Amino acid sequence: MVSRAQIGLALALGLLALVSTAEGGVLFSNLTRTLAVEATIQSTNSTTGVAHVGSDHLVVSWALNSSLADSGLDAKYVNVNIKLCYAPVSQTDRGWRKTNNDLHKDKTCGKGIGSQKYVPGGNTTNWRITKDVPGAIYFVRVYAVDADGVQLGFGQTTNAAKSSNLIEILPISGRHASIDVASAIFSVFSVGSLISFLGVEAIRSKKAANARAGK
Amino acid sequence: MAANSDFQERNAKGEPGSSLHGVTGREPVFQMTMETVGEKEATDLKGRKFALPVDSEHKAKTVRLYSVAAPHMRTFHLSWIAFMICFFSTFAAPPLMPVIRDNLGLTKVDIGNAGIASVAGAVVSRLLMGTICDLVGPRYGCAILMMITAPAIFCMPLVSTPVGFILVRFFIGFCLATFVSCQFWMSSMFNSKIVGIANGTAAGWGNMGGGIVQLVMPLVFDIIRRDIGSEKFTAWRIAFFVPGVLQVMMGLLVLTLGQDLPDGNYAELKREGEKVNDSFQKVFLYAVTNYRTYIFALTYGYCFGVELTVDNIIAEYFYDRFDLNLQTAGIIASTFGLMNLFSRPLGGVLSDVVAARWGMRGRLWNLWIIQTVGGVLCIVLGLTGQLGPAIAVMLIFSFFVQAACGATFGVIPFISRRSLGIISGATGAGGNIGAVTTQGIFFMSSKYTTEDGIMLMGIMIVACTLPVIFVHFPQWGSMFCPPSKATEEDYYISEWSKEEQSNGLHHASMKFAENSKSERGRQSSPRSKEETVVVDGV
Repeated sequence: MVSRAQIGLALALGLLALVSTAEGGVLFSNLTRTLAVEATIQSTNSTTGVAHVGSDHLVVSWALNSSLADSGLDAKYVNVNIKLCYAPVSQTDRGWRKTNNDLHKDKTCGKGIGSQKYVPGGNTTNWRITKDVPGAIYFVRVYAVDADGVQLGFGQTTNAAKSSNLIEILPISGRHASIDVASAIFSVFSVGSLISFLGVEAIRSKKAANARAGK
Repeated sequence: MAANSDFQERNAKGEPGSSLHGVTGREPVFQMTMETVGEKEATDLKGRKFALPVDSEHKAKTVRLYSVAAPHMRTFHLSWIAFMICFFSTFAAPPLMPVIRDNLGLTKVDIGNAGIASVAGAVVSRLLMGTICDLVGPRYGCAILMMITAPAIFCMPLVSTPVGFILVRFFIGFCLATFVSCQFWMSSMFNSKIVGIANGTAAGWGNMGGGIVQLVMPLVFDIIRRDIGSEKFTAWRIAFFVPGVLQVMMGLLVLTLGQDLPDGNYAELKREGEKVNDSFQKVFLYAVTNYRTYIFALTYGYCFGVELTVDNIIAEYFYDRFDLNLQTAGIIASTFGLMNLFSRPLGGVLSDVVAARWGMRGRLWNLWIIQTVGGVLCIVLGLTGQLGPAIAVMLIFSFFVQAACGATFGVIPFISRRSLGIISGATGAGGNIGAVTTQGIFFMSSKYTTEDGIMLMGIMIVACTLPVIFVHFPQWGSMFCPPSKATEEDYYISEWSKEEQSNGLHHASMKFAENSKSERGRQSSPRSKEETVVVDGV
C-alpha cells in the first residue's frame, strides 16, 4: 500500500514537472492588432454564413494592415498561426471554452487551421473543415509569432466584441446506419436470450414439480 | 442441534455403548466413524460436500480468493465481476466527456444533469432490488437487471441531443442496483464473522469498475480512432459497444453458473420445502419501522454517494483545472476508483477485526472514525491547488471514503435477518440519493467552482456521519451506551409474530442469532464457555 502511494506521488510530481514548463504567458491585451484577416466559405450549398464540416472549405486570407506597411511592427514576425475560435454565444455555460487574457490558459481558439511563413504581402490558405470540429459559431483569428512561437500580434475576422461577421459551422452527427443496426441487433439478443433462458428454467421447474408430485 | 449436544454430553460421561473410540468419546469428529458419533459432514440438499468449511446455515467460514469452488467462491467471483461491469457501464461516459460534449453541444448544466441522472435511476432500482432478492433470489435479480439495462447501453451510440444523452445515462444507471444483489448474495453465502471482509472485497472490487473504465474507455477510443480510422465523433459511439457486450456476457454467466443459497436455488428450495416464501408486506414493514435503516441510508449517502459523485466529476476536474490531456486526466481519475482494490475490503476487514475485540460497538466506532477522516480529507482536496499534492490527497481521501463503505456493510447484515434484502437496498438507494443531492447542490450551476464544491462536500460528509452515534442495538450497545440484558434471540425473534413462530418460520433467524453472538466481542463470562459446546462444531 505504501509503495502504491509512493508510485502515485512520483507519477504526480513527474506530471507536475511537465506541466510547469509553462512560464507566465503572453497577455492578449498586450498584442497589437496588425493583421487584416478575411475568411470566406466555399460551399456546395447556397446558404450563406453556414458551413458544413467535411464538404465545405474555409478560405482564409491574411495580410499586414495596409496602414502599417512601413511601421516596422512586423520586424520580428516569423510565422503566422491561423486558428478557428469560438464566438461568445458558443462559450456561454461552457467553462472549457473560456476566454482568458493569459494566452497560455486561453481556450477560445481550440482548433488550428494552419501555419504559414510570414510575408508582409500576406497569403491565403484553403482549409477543408475537418469532421472533428464541433457545431458552434466561430470566427477566425491569425496570430503572428516569432521564431519561438511567442505571439506578437494578431488579426481576426470579427470586431473586438466578437459579434460581427461570424461563421456558423454545422457538424457531423457521428452516427452511422451500421452502428444503428448493430445496436438493435445486440439489444434484441440481450433481451431475447434472457427471456428464453427464463422460459427454459420455468419449464424445467414445472417438469421437476410434476415429477415430484407424481412420485 | 439438540441431538448432537446430547450425544457429546453422554460421550463425555462415558456411558456404555455411546462410542467406539474409547471412554469419553470426545475424539475429533472428522475421523471415519462420523455416523456413530452423530455428526454429519455438512452437505447441501443434493448431498454434495462443501469445498469450504461451513457453519450451521451452510455459510462459508473462510474466504479463499483464489478458488472458484461452487457455491461460495463461485458466487463471490460472479457477484463482484457482475457489479464491476455495471459500474463500468454507468461511468463509461465521464472519461470521454470532452469528446461527447463537443459532439452533442452540451453545456455545464447538461453535463451536471446527466451526472445526476446516471445515479438517480439506481435510487429506485436499488430499493426494488432488495425486495426482488428477498422474493426471487439474487441470481435472477442480478441477471435480469443486467440484461434488461444492456439495451440502454446500446442506445448510447444513437444519441444526438443533450436530452437523449441525459435519458440514456438515466436508464443505464439502473444497473447499479446489482450492488444490492451482490451484498445480499455475500450475506447469504458467508458467515457473520467474515461477512465484513466478504462484502467489502466483493463491493470494493466491483466499485473498481468506476476506476477501470476511466483507463479503458480513452484507450478503446484511441484504438478505434487510430487503427480503424473513425472520426472522433463516431469513435466514442463505437467504444460504447464494449461495456454493452461485457454486460450481456456477464448476465448470461450469472444465469448459468450462479446459485442463490449454499443449498441451491430459490425455486428448487421452495419446491423441497426448505425455503419459505415470505410475505412482502411483513418484510417491508420490518424494514421501514427499524430506525437504523434510515440512519445508515443517510451515512451511506456520504461515503458511497461521494464516491459516485467523484467518479462523475474527477476526470473533467483534472482535465480542466490542471490543463491535462484526455489520457492523462483519465489515468489520474482512474486511480481514485482503483484504490477500491484494497480500500473497501480493508474497511470490511477493519470492521471484522475491531468486532472480534469490541463487538458491534467497535464496528460503529470504526465506521464513524473512518468516514469523518474521509470528510476532512475531502475539504483538504478542494483547497489543494497544485497537481502533485492534489493527486496525493485524492488517493488518501479515496482510501478513507471507500473504507467507510466497506465498514458500513460490516454492520448492515446485523440490523435485520428477515428484511436484509430491503435494508441493503435502502442503504444502497441512500448512497445514490446522496450522490444526486451532492451533485445537484455543489456541481451543477456556476455558483460554486468545482474546487469549492469539493470542499463543501467534505463539510457535508462530516455533518452527515454524526447520526451513527444514535445507532443502538439492545443486545450489543451503541457508540456511547452499553448493552442491556436483551439477547440476540430476543432481537431477531421480534421480527416474527407469535403465529409465525408457532409455524416454525423463525428457525433461520434463530440460527442466525446463534451465529451472531460473535458481535459481543471478546468476553470472559462463563456463559460463553457453555455456548461453545452446543454450537455446531463443524
